[in-house]
Amino acid sequence: MLDRASTFSDPGVVSLLQNHFIPVAIDQAYQRRQQDAEGQFYQKIANQGPRKVGDGGPTTQGLYTATPDGSFLGYNNNRKINDLLEQLRNAQKQYRPGEVAAIESGEPDSRYVYGPPEGGLVVRVHSKILDGYEKPKSERQRMFQEGVGRDNFWIRADEHQALAQGKILESLAARMARFHLVDNTRGEPPMWKPHEVRSHDLFLDGNTLRGTVHLRTDSGDREFRAELLGFVEAESGKVKRFDVVAKGLFRGEGKYTRGAPQGNFPIAMAFSLADGSDMADPIPPQGSRGWLDGYIE
Amino acid sequence: MITTISTVLLMAANSLTIANFETLHRELQPSGEKVWRTIPWEADLLKAQAKAAKEKKPIFIWAMDGHPLGCT
Repeated sequence: MLDRASTFSDPGVVSLLQNHFIPVAIDQAYQRRQQDAEGQFYQKIANQGPRKVGDGGPTTQGLYTATPDGSFLGYNNNRKINDLLEQLRNAQKQYRPGEVAAIESGEPDSRYVYGPPEGGLVVRVHSKILDGYEKPKSERQRMFQEGVGRDNFWIRADEHQALAQGKILESLAARMARFHLVDNTRGEPPMWKPHEVRSHDLFLDGNTLRGTVHLRTDSGDREFRAELLGFVEAESGKVKRFDVVAKGLFRGEGKYTRGAPQGNFPIAMAFSLADGSDMADPIPPQGSRGWLDGYIE
Repeated sequence: MITTISTVLLMAANSLTIANFETLHRELQPSGEKVWRTIPWEADLLKAQAKAAKEKKPIFIWAMDGHPLGCT
C-alpha cells in the first residue's frame, strides 16, 4: 500500500514506467507455482535473480526488469525511490530491442488461474481506517495510516439470482463476513474462520440492505462488530446496483498487518459493483488465494 | 463490562444512517492514490510479454505476496 503512495507516485519512476517499460503487477504466489506458459516465463526470469523458485525460500517477491524474451535485467526488493530509478535506468542501458514473438498462452494451470463465477457478480471492496492512529511523525507514516485496502468480492450465479429477487443467501452473507469484513489496509489480512463469525444478520427490506455482523477470534485478539447499510437494485433479473457500507469498531491485527491503532478503532468497507473499468477488477479475491473452492462454497 | 458498555456507546455514536451512507461510500474510494494509477499496469504477465515484444520495450514486474493492485 505504501509503495503506491510513495515509490510509484514519484514523477521520475512514473514517467519511466509510463514511457519506457511495460509494467505488470502480479501476486507471485501464483506464477512461481503455475505449471503453464505464464508460470514458466515468470520462473525463467526469477531464476536468474537472487530469489530462485524452488530453492526453499518462502517467496520470490521483488521488483524485476527483464527483456521480452525473459532475459534478466535486474532485481531489487528495496522500495527506495533512488534504488528503483537506478534499476530502471540500468535496465534501459542494457536492453537491446530485437524481434521477439509473443508467447502462446496454451492451457492455463487451473489450480491457479481462475475467473469469477459465470453469471455471478464482481463487487469492489475498499476499506479504510477512519480514526484511532496516533498523530503521524513522518510523511511515510501518514501515507501508511491513510492506506485504502482493495479486494474483489465474488458472488455466485445462484446468489446473484436470489439478490435480484430480494433475498440474501446464507452463503453470500457468510463469504462477505469471513473474507471481506477484514482490515486489509496495511497488507494481507488474516481471514475469519467459520466459527469466528459469531453472528450475522443481513436482510433486504425492499432495495435497502441492512444488517449486523459480529466477528471474534477465540482468544479475542481480533474482533469486529459491524453495522451494514446499503442499496441493492435489480432490473430484468440482474443486479444493477450493489452499494453497501460496513462500518464498526475493529480491534487487533494480523501477522502481515502490524501497526494497527491501539484498542478499538473505527473502520469501514465500501462495496460497489465492478464494471471492468478498473485495473484491479480482474484480480481474484484475496480469500480465494490457492483455495477457490473454500472461498466460493 | 466497562469495555462492553464503551463499545456499545461508541457504536451508537458512529451509527450508519441513510443520510451519512452516501458520504461514507464516496469517501472510501481511493482518490488519494491517483498517481500510481496513471501507470498502465497489466495484471497478466503473458499480455505484458506480448505487449513488450510488440513495442520492443523491457518489462517491469512488480511481484509481491498478495496482489500489488489489491491489498499489498
